[in-house]
Amino acid sequence: MTHLPKIKMLTLATVATLAACATTPLRSDPTTSEIRAAQELGARQVPTAALHLQLAKEQLAKAEALSAKGDEERADSMLERAQADAELAVALSHEDTEKNEAEAAIARVRELRSDNEALQTTAPSTEQ
Amino acid sequence: MTHSNSLILLASASMLIGCATIAPKELVDAREHYQRASRGDAADAAPAEVHVANDALARAEHSFDEDGDTYRTRDLAYVAQRKSQLAEATAAIKQQKASKADANAEYRETQGEIVDQTKGELDDARKDLLVSQQAGAMTAAQLKAEKEARADADRRAAEALAKLGAVRDDDRGMIITLSGSVLFASNKATLLPAARARLEEVTDVLLEEPDRKLTVEGHTDSQGSDDYNARLSQRRADAVRDAIVARGYPRDLVRTQGLGEAQPVATNDSSEGRANNRRVEIVVARD
Repeated sequence: MTHLPKIKMLTLATVATLAACATTPLRSDPTTSEIRAAQELGARQVPTAALHLQLAKEQLAKAEALSAKGDEERADSMLERAQADAELAVALSHEDTEKNEAEAAIARVRELRSDNEALQTTAPSTEQ
Repeated sequence: MTHSNSLILLASASMLIGCATIAPKELVDAREHYQRASRGDAADAAPAEVHVANDALARAEHSFDEDGDTYRTRDLAYVAQRKSQLAEATAAIKQQKASKADANAEYRETQGEIVDQTKGELDDARKDLLVSQQAGAMTAAQLKAEKEARADADRRAAEALAKLGAVRDDDRGMIITLSGSVLFASNKATLLPAARARLEEVTDVLLEEPDRKLTVEGHTDSQGSDDYNARLSQRRADAVRDAIVARGYPRDLVRTQGLGEAQPVATNDSSEGRANNRRVEIVVARD
């Protein structure tokens, strides 16, 4: 009877020690992918997107540093900030692209109408 | 419960707690951004993203209620603010896409209008071309008829003139030769009465087409000096010109030339030949 509690105690102690030493690795892949997506969409050339891209990178670095120190809770929390900024950088890049394309489409219509009017003005009249 | 109601409740709860703890800046900013997003275009254009922002803000408020101003509350509020901004950006993307689609539709519509307009103009141009071609054909027919009429007039004039004197054609035009002995007394440049009547008949024929240029040339035989013959032939040519003009032919279309004995048409060695050389020729120019 005296051996069994000792074994149990040892087992529990071992499990507890292993649990304390085991660190969950920082799940930063989604954030890293989002940052890469923002860069590929040209976030660096869009001022608002570039700002949030930079914030995402900085906060990812902070999260990794916290994780390295073993402060997983704060690391995960900081990683959420990085993820939010990376997603916003992607959206702002999209917005800029759409805005440019919309402006180009409007300009194209204006040019078409202008060219047609110019042709109408310069075309010789068929009436005598 | 709507998002707004839940927010009001959360805000009220926050205020009660706020008596004890001041909300961190991140949470204040998150509330402001959410208010802006939920009341702006995003509410209609990006309702799903606004809902996500609402949930994120609720988590931040809950953290603040439970734990106060902690790093977790600040991080959650920070994320909530970004979710509200994301909702606004998503709404802006949708609006820009709609604007682009409208512009592209307008472009296609305008192109269609231009094509229709061009087709109309092309049809008009084809009709005008057809009318012009018909008019051109008519003009060609008129020209042909006019040419034939002119040729007919020339033929009739030649026939009429042939009765009055010798008529021939050469490079310069139609040439009417009037015998000098019929027109003038020897060594004189005054028209004989009979000659005047004959010239009037010739002029009447010429007046059928009074737009032709005439050259009246005087010729003599070789008797007498060259100088004398030149002056005599000139005076005779002038006399014939005066008779033609007096009958009504335009003076500016008639010029004269005294050629003396320079261009004989027969020998000057016989009296018959000399008689043929004494002559006046009226050259009727072609058009």
